[in-house]
Amino acid sequence: MTVTAPEAAPYFDITDPDFSITSAAVHEARERSWYARTNYGLAVLRYEEVSRLLKHPKLRQGSAAWPAHNGVTEGPFAKWWASWVLNKEGEEHHRLRRLMNPAFSHKLIAGLVPRFQALAAELINGFREPGRCEFVSEFAEPYAARVIAIMLGMPESEWRVIARESATIGLAMGVTIRQDLPKIEAALAALYAYADELIAERRREERDDFVSALVRAQRDSDRLSADELRDGLVLLIFGGFDTTRNQLGLAMQSFVRHPDQWRLLAERPELGGRAVEEVMRVNPTTRWVTREAHEDFTYQGLDIPAGTTVHLFTESAGTDPRVFGDGAFDITAERKPHFGFGGGAHHCLGHFVARSDMSEALPLLARRMRDPRIEDGAEWLPDSGNTGPIRLPIAFTPAT
Amino acid sequence: MKVIVDMAKCQDHGQCAIAAPEVFEMNEEGRLVYDGEPGEERRLEVEEAADVCPVQAILIKD
Ligand code: HEM
Ligand code: SF4
Repeated sequence: MTVTAPEAAPYFDITDPDFSITSAAVHEARERSWYARTNYGLAVLRYEEVSRLLKHPKLRQGSAAWPAHNGVTEGPFAKWWASWVLNKEGEEHHRLRRLMNPAFSHKLIAGLVPRFQALAAELINGFREPGRCEFVSEFAEPYAARVIAIMLGMPESEWRVIARESATIGLAMGVTIRQDLPKIEAALAALYAYADELIAERRREERDDFVSALVRAQRDSDRLSADELRDGLVLLIFGGFDTTRNQLGLAMQSFVRHPDQWRLLAERPELGGRAVEEVMRVNPTTRWVTREAHEDFTYQGLDIPAGTTVHLFTESAGTDPRVFGDGAFDITAERKPHFGFGGGAHHCLGHFVARSDMSEALPLLARRMRDPRIEDGAEWLPDSGNTGPIRLPIAFTPAT
Repeated sequence: MKVIVDMAKCQDHGQCAIAAPEVFEMNEEGRLVYDGEPGEERRLEVEEAADVCPVQAILIKD
């Protein structure tokens, strides 16, 4: 075993606006050391170590304290945040997960595939110009929001509410959370009102759908309480929308860089699933997954004191030459799994949905949008913890 | 009932241990250990574990 002395570890200021988490500097650091130090604790850079630490029993999910760190300790937002399955640990977490998991099973999701296909086709048919689109507002955003509307059995025409209110709640991830709190809490109230109505409808009359499955969810004699149901539904709206939108935008970016792979996907739509995995390996929207040490421990000779924040760098792990060799983007390759959905007890609850909807969308896009090019005017979120395009104008050759 | 986990596929996510804690368990190092021949009364839980495994590594044989 090689042990890297602490002073030899690379250092990154991850709050510097010029820091890029997928930069050559990060990749070079990965070749010197399995971890780096940052102004927010440790960054883990290599595949094997990311894989182990993601599920390490001494680490817990690292997001729970965010609002409190920023002075938000009470009120509806703080309460909702604390209710998240992501922010619970141990038996409290497992209980929620047990109750929610069955509604997310791939068997139930499979029934939605024809809706996903129809939705993708409708959006592409609706592009304002024949050989050009703004991919985020004309595809990724409505697709991600309407998939959630489909899951929740809401009228798809109301997707803009999902998009708008989720974006406002997203302000809570920023350092201006306190100033934004009134807006955030208004958006939260709007989504609660939707959730309450969806639940009330299912209580009046059961349906064969996702929300009914959650309302019915039962394990031994335990069920989700009324509060848990509405908190959970609002979390699903919030947690499923931005991520899917951003990941679709990043998929487009990856394929613009690899036109041969895009043509291959158009010819072989059955590669849709593999395409999603390959994009998430090299271009994941969740660029880091956060953990926090709940006890002192030593890992590979490195002492990690309780309270240390640990960021697992997903792109750096996904392009680690120790595991992926030269790792050329290839949607036909058999690969080890990526970490774009996190892992361990907190592994993304919605991954079967996200995998299924994206693997339907991408081949259809590849068939209809030949030779895509990114035009001037693209805008991006910083290349940091969560990323993706804000605007992505694409020119292409239309095909049927 | 016979349960087989494809250990080449398994990524130690532990979702099975959440779904069926009597049959699947994560050890001190966070690695999966499991009972390959659980009683018939565990069938529902084990089916749920197989369903929920993110990498679909769990096989139930009769
Ligand atoms: C491309 C789309 C998506 C990406 C990239 C993504 C990514 C993630 C990641 C990285 C985590 C944290 C895992 C960890 O800490 O190890 C997570 C957790 C979670 N995701 Fe997703 N997600 C996506 C879509 C969805 C969807 C569609 C839903 C629901 C409809 C969803 C619901 C959740 C929930 C509830 C959790 C918390 C699970 C827990 O703590 O047990 N996600 N996701
Ligand atoms: S859920 Fe699947 S991957 Fe995770 S420990 Fe169980 S068998 Fe392994």
